[in-house]
Amino acid sequence: MSCAIEVRDLGYRYGEGTQALQGVSFAIAVGECVGLIGPNGAGKSTLLLHLNGLLPETGKGEGAVRVGGTPVRTDTLHEVRRKVGLLFQDPNDQLFCPTVFEDVAFGPRQFGLSETEVRERVQQSLAKTGLSGFETRAPHHLSVGEKRRVCLAGVLACDPAILVLDEPTSSLDPKGRRELKELLRQIRITKLIATHDLELVVELCSRVIVLDGGAVVAEGPTVDLLSDEALMLRHSLERPHILRHLHPH
Amino acid sequence: MRHDFLDRYSRLHSPIHRLPAVLKLAAALAVVLTVVLLPPSRVVLLGAVSASLLAIAWLSRIPWRFLVRRVILLEPFVLGAAMLALFQPGGWRLFLFLVAKCTLCLLGMVLLSNTTTFSDLLRLLKAARVPALLVTTLSLMYRYLFVLVDETQRMKRARLSRTFTPQRTWAWHTMATVVSQLFIRTSERAERIYAAMCARGWR
Repeated sequence: MSCAIEVRDLGYRYGEGTQALQGVSFAIAVGECVGLIGPNGAGKSTLLLHLNGLLPETGKGEGAVRVGGTPVRTDTLHEVRRKVGLLFQDPNDQLFCPTVFEDVAFGPRQFGLSETEVRERVQQSLAKTGLSGFETRAPHHLSVGEKRRVCLAGVLACDPAILVLDEPTSSLDPKGRRELKELLRQIRITKLIATHDLELVVELCSRVIVLDGGAVVAEGPTVDLLSDEALMLRHSLERPHILRHLHPH
Repeated sequence: MRHDFLDRYSRLHSPIHRLPAVLKLAAALAVVLTVVLLPPSRVVLLGAVSASLLAIAWLSRIPWRFLVRRVILLEPFVLGAAMLALFQPGGWRLFLFLVAKCTLCLLGMVLLSNTTTFSDLLRLLKAARVPALLVTTLSLMYRYLFVLVDETQRMKRARLSRTFTPQRTWAWHTMATVVSQLFIRTSERAERIYAAMCARGWR
């Protein structure tokens, strides 16, 4: 089994002393779609930032993170960030350019593609996310759902091998959520989704990792873990309704 | 929420809006330079510049009320500077002349920013080899101004929904809290934006 993401004994403490992660280990195979669940403050976002080497002490802390076989270190950051596309929780943080086109083109331009290639990439990702014709729109004139899709287009334009998503369905309306879910289903690369939307996990992910108090407390096939009511309640989660219909015990 | 208080009319369709951005930027700079360098005796030339600006304003189909209001909004700064002229002999004439000059420059800039989209202006600046760091800063400023206004409004609403008795001292106190909160949130957001930029290969 070749690993897309491999995390071994990862620990992290924030500057002010909060121990955000400790002894976190897991592996994700190429092509897998894995859900990362757990209560608020469990360390999900911190863990995701590690996969892109975005915390200041990258490579100096305890443990190791490897993506696609490359260790995340100060000297490999650009390679790592090219491999891993990260969708942030707040679309406003991710949309920092004055127009949709500029924003989606940001990644490809950083990788030094020619202007025609950049244009092509942007058109492709906008078409993929159903946003053709949005090129000249300004981010502050878009709805939350549209913003989220532009963010995704910006990430896809970088052509990542691994997609890492932080709360992709938060504050979306049911239609926006459904559209995003279908989009994610069509993107056939390795995915790691951190979310509280457990129905989404059931629908998209074959496996889940439960994180609580900065440590991995459970890991296994989605249906098995999410049907375990005691486990779910212990970690501030719950058995999603969709599973009640699937397994009427 | 939609915000367009800065350049509400920059996406209108008019002969002026259709002109190439580079022409408009050059014309605006030319107007400012001419007006600034004009000596107080050339009132006729000043009149000519104002006539052409008014013609452009008419052609651009931007509502008059908006233009007048926008210029008046900026006028206090002009008056502050022009007041100094009153302390000289024959200051009244100079005062009026300064006010007229500055108002024309302002009108030129308001017209430029409402007939050309900001992204076009940024593109021009980049092409004109303005340092990339400056262009990036401008573009980020334009982008996050709107986010900041949103955040301020949300905080204001949240505060109002729990304000039951209007009290002056408290108002100042909460004002200070809001400002400090905004500052902290902004710097935190800046960190997240930087992370998002790095995630897409920024170096």
